[in-house]
Amino acid sequence: MLILIAEDDELILRTVEHKLLKEGHQTILTRNGREAIEKIKELDIDLVITDIMMPFASGIEILSAIRSFEKQLPVIVLSSMGQEEVVADAFDLGASDFMVKPFSPNELILRIKRLAGK
Amino acid sequence: MNSIFHRVTIHELIIAIVVVLSLVVLLIMMVLLYSFYKYKVLHQRQIWLQESEQKVTQAIVSGEEVGSVDEKFIMKLRNPSFRNIFLSVLVASDQKFSGGARNEVNNLFKTYKMEDAAWQKIRQKKAYVVAGGILELAVMRVESALPYISSLLEHPKRQVYQEAQYAVVSFKGFDGLDFLNTLVAPLSDWQQLRLLRSIGKLPVAHEEWVKNWLSSSNQTVIIFTLRLIRKFQLLPFYADAINLFDHRSVTVKVQAIRTIIALENVETINQLIAVFFKQPIEAQIEILRALKKSRSPQSTPFLQQQLWHHPAISIKIAATEALIALKQHDYLQRIATDETVPEEIKQVIKHALQEKT
Repeated sequence: MLILIAEDDELILRTVEHKLLKEGHQTILTRNGREAIEKIKELDIDLVITDIMMPFASGIEILSAIRSFEKQLPVIVLSSMGQEEVVADAFDLGASDFMVKPFSPNELILRIKRLAGK
Repeated sequence: MNSIFHRVTIHELIIAIVVVLSLVVLLIMMVLLYSFYKYKVLHQRQIWLQESEQKVTQAIVSGEEVGSVDEKFIMKLRNPSFRNIFLSVLVASDQKFSGGARNEVNNLFKTYKMEDAAWQKIRQKKAYVVAGGILELAVMRVESALPYISSLLEHPKRQVYQEAQYAVVSFKGFDGLDFLNTLVAPLSDWQQLRLLRSIGKLPVAHEEWVKNWLSSSNQTVIIFTLRLIRKFQLLPFYADAINLFDHRSVTVKVQAIRTIIALENVETINQLIAVFFKQPIEAQIEILRALKKSRSPQSTPFLQQQLWHHPAISIKIAATEALIALKQHDYLQRIATDETVPEEIKQVIKHALQEKT
């Protein structure tokens, strides 16, 4: 699977990247929302993992963009504690799943497998 | 004065200019060298940060296969600056990852004997260094540090005792809150939220403690306890929260209103309306917000009365907003277009309706 990760925290970005590579996936790394939206538009991505709070464009804006491109993409949202309302917005915009930070990378892999199996 | 200038020769003037220019060049050189040094330090920090993060990533992704001691890395850790950066990355990682990943981070802490570095910090004099050491030992769950950290709860420096409070609660959960029994200093809002986040569950025997804190002479302890009641939906304290409507502090009153709305029962709306007129404006606004949130039709006549008769504009606005939440648009539109209605009320309604749209 070609998976796009949108995350401005370098440690999370790299850890998730290595975890996915180890599972045999291909990855595209983006460190801000605008870059993520451009990549989603240009490339044929299979799944998106996005943080909510990011520079230039948020995870919510990425979800809106995916909807406007009319792409059917599974999206896993990474949120922080206290962002419940934003997570509700994310589901309204078509998010497939969400995880609250601190999160387990192993659990993230399991959720990706579940979404890939659908 | 003139005689002095007459005595300066061309030769001396040139020497003076050369000296001044040399000084300027020297100053520029020093600034450049300092900037270069700063850049090198920053660059080195960036490299160390990347190396530390790489170590954490490796440990999380590959687990035990790289969990063995890396001698090169140990050599690097002899540098105190690098050690501090690695330690800060470990602490930050603990707040980013959970489950097996967090265990791997904790293994790194033990494998590379970071505990010693944290202990060194906790025994220093500078408050921010001690606080950093407390945080590191707490985040990495070094249980043996608990007695020493507990002794810092009475530390004169705020940074230190706040970190000690957070640490004992991280270790002991609700039981760690016993420092509230004697706390004189205020608990900041931020500290309250941190503590609340660290408490996952309440022990069966919590009631006596909670009751004690609600009658504390420290109003921030009362406010924290009300937040605790809301978080864990402690219904038996509903009546105690109502009693706090008579507290001298407006902030406590406001928090008490929020608490009874969080524990709402069939009596809540009537109880809020009954105490409304005894409250200061800030608490009255909070009651109207509570009525807005609960959207109970039984409060409609009361809200209409406040819109018409309360002397404060802020109350009229809050009452109108609550009426909008109760879907009283037709009523409000009718008043807004009635020529016999005072202009002030019409303006309040228009303002509230505009805010809504």
